[in-house]
Amino acid sequence: MGLLDKAIAWGEKKSPWIIHFNAGACNGCDIEVVDALTPQYDLERLGILQQGSPRHADVLVCTGAVTLQTRDRLKQIYDQMSTPKFVIAVGTCACTGGIFDSCYCVTGGIDTIIPVDAYIPGCAVRPEAIIDAVSKLLASLDRKEGKRE
Amino acid sequence: MIASILKVLLFPGLLFLGVYSFVLEFVDRKVYARMQNRKGPPWYQPLADMLKLVGKKVILPNNAQKFVFAALPTVSLTAVVTAFLCAPVWGMQAVTAYEGDLVAVLYLLSIPTLCHFLAGYNSHEVYSTIGAFRTLTQMFAYEVPLFMAFLSPAILAGSWSITGIAAFYAARPLYVLINLPAFLIALLTSQSKLERAPFDAPEAETEIVGGALVEYSGRYLAYFRATAVSELTVMASVIAGVFLPFFTGNGAVDFALYLVKTFAVVLVMVLLRATMARIRIDQTLKFFWSVLTPVAIAQMILNLLLRGGLGL
Ligand code: SF4
Repeated sequence: MGLLDKAIAWGEKKSPWIIHFNAGACNGCDIEVVDALTPQYDLERLGILQQGSPRHADVLVCTGAVTLQTRDRLKQIYDQMSTPKFVIAVGTCACTGGIFDSCYCVTGGIDTIIPVDAYIPGCAVRPEAIIDAVSKLLASLDRKEGKRE
Repeated sequence: MIASILKVLLFPGLLFLGVYSFVLEFVDRKVYARMQNRKGPPWYQPLADMLKLVGKKVILPNNAQKFVFAALPTVSLTAVVTAFLCAPVWGMQAVTAYEGDLVAVLYLLSIPTLCHFLAGYNSHEVYSTIGAFRTLTQMFAYEVPLFMAFLSPAILAGSWSITGIAAFYAARPLYVLINLPAFLIALLTSQSKLERAPFDAPEAETEIVGGALVEYSGRYLAYFRATAVSELTVMASVIAGVFLPFFTGNGAVDFALYLVKTFAVVLVMVLLRATMARIRIDQTLKFFWSVLTPVAIAQMILNLLLRGGLGL
């Protein structure tokens, strides 16, 4: 791995920009995601910024079970992101479908549509858990790199 | 010959601009965070952001014109970097100084705005088109007071080069006070040129997703970000040269003074950004045309009269 690749890999770990998508949550988890972004928790100290456009973001933060309404949109937003990209499923619903699982209009968890890199169970999740998951995801990038070398 | 090439490439040219822009972006974000009672990003954050963006894949939208899409970020970055060479950094003398470079710098600094507009328009996307037209509308609002604010001191000094203006006021420091209204207008219009709150309607990410740059990704987005931060540095340097011309004649001391002055300008700009909410695009237009432009015209007339009256 060249010096530039190393520098880029380092930058990747230090600056995850996120975009938040509600795939059919009851809005409980969304409130907690917004909570984590407030000055109280200060995600910018980990380099995390919220972006409006999927093209600018690295991490897709998904809440809620996937409904028939949002299924295509979720796929589309994921495809619009530029690689390398990661997905975090926030909340029990996003992990497995939760209490909405096997509803007539629900496909299931986020990973039934797109690959997920980190799961955060909880109903609703705590902002601390979201921060922990993001930092664990970044740490796992470290390990993946170790394997590559 | 080699000395001047080194001056352009290393100090006080491109390399210095790059490093100092990273420093100023960090100061900008850190102070902003501290004002919100946050800890803020670590010192290497701007560098990490840039490296990450360079490493990401570039997506070219299908219905955009590919060549224009790829060329615009480079063009706008080049324009800003060129403009920096006319700002005095080490001592009173800029790397290149010629009669009229103030006007050239102001026009060079308009190029990134036009590139933003073209980038948004060329992306053929609803949000980016709205962002592009807001960028252009805002440009019509601030361009006139901006030019008047920067040209008023030039009229009083009787020179159209930044170095010449700096030399004039360095000899007569009290005359700086005459330009106080123009200084305030310059700060506000620069804020609006850089599309920072309260004038960030063109890139309002909460309503139009991020404005003209919605479709940009990877290293092209990195170039546009680099343009924005170097534009901040260049604006602060030009304001420091034109409105805060306090020099000692010693190169190193003047360089320290330059750092102090640009930091002060950036701090004021962060204060504006941190304390004010976004105003609508029509309110921006109204504010610039009905408040700032008349004041700028008055300042210009005053300076013209004074130039005759003081017998300069
Ligand atoms: S996990 Fe709980 S709070 Fe979150 S979306 Fe599902 S039901 Fe709502």
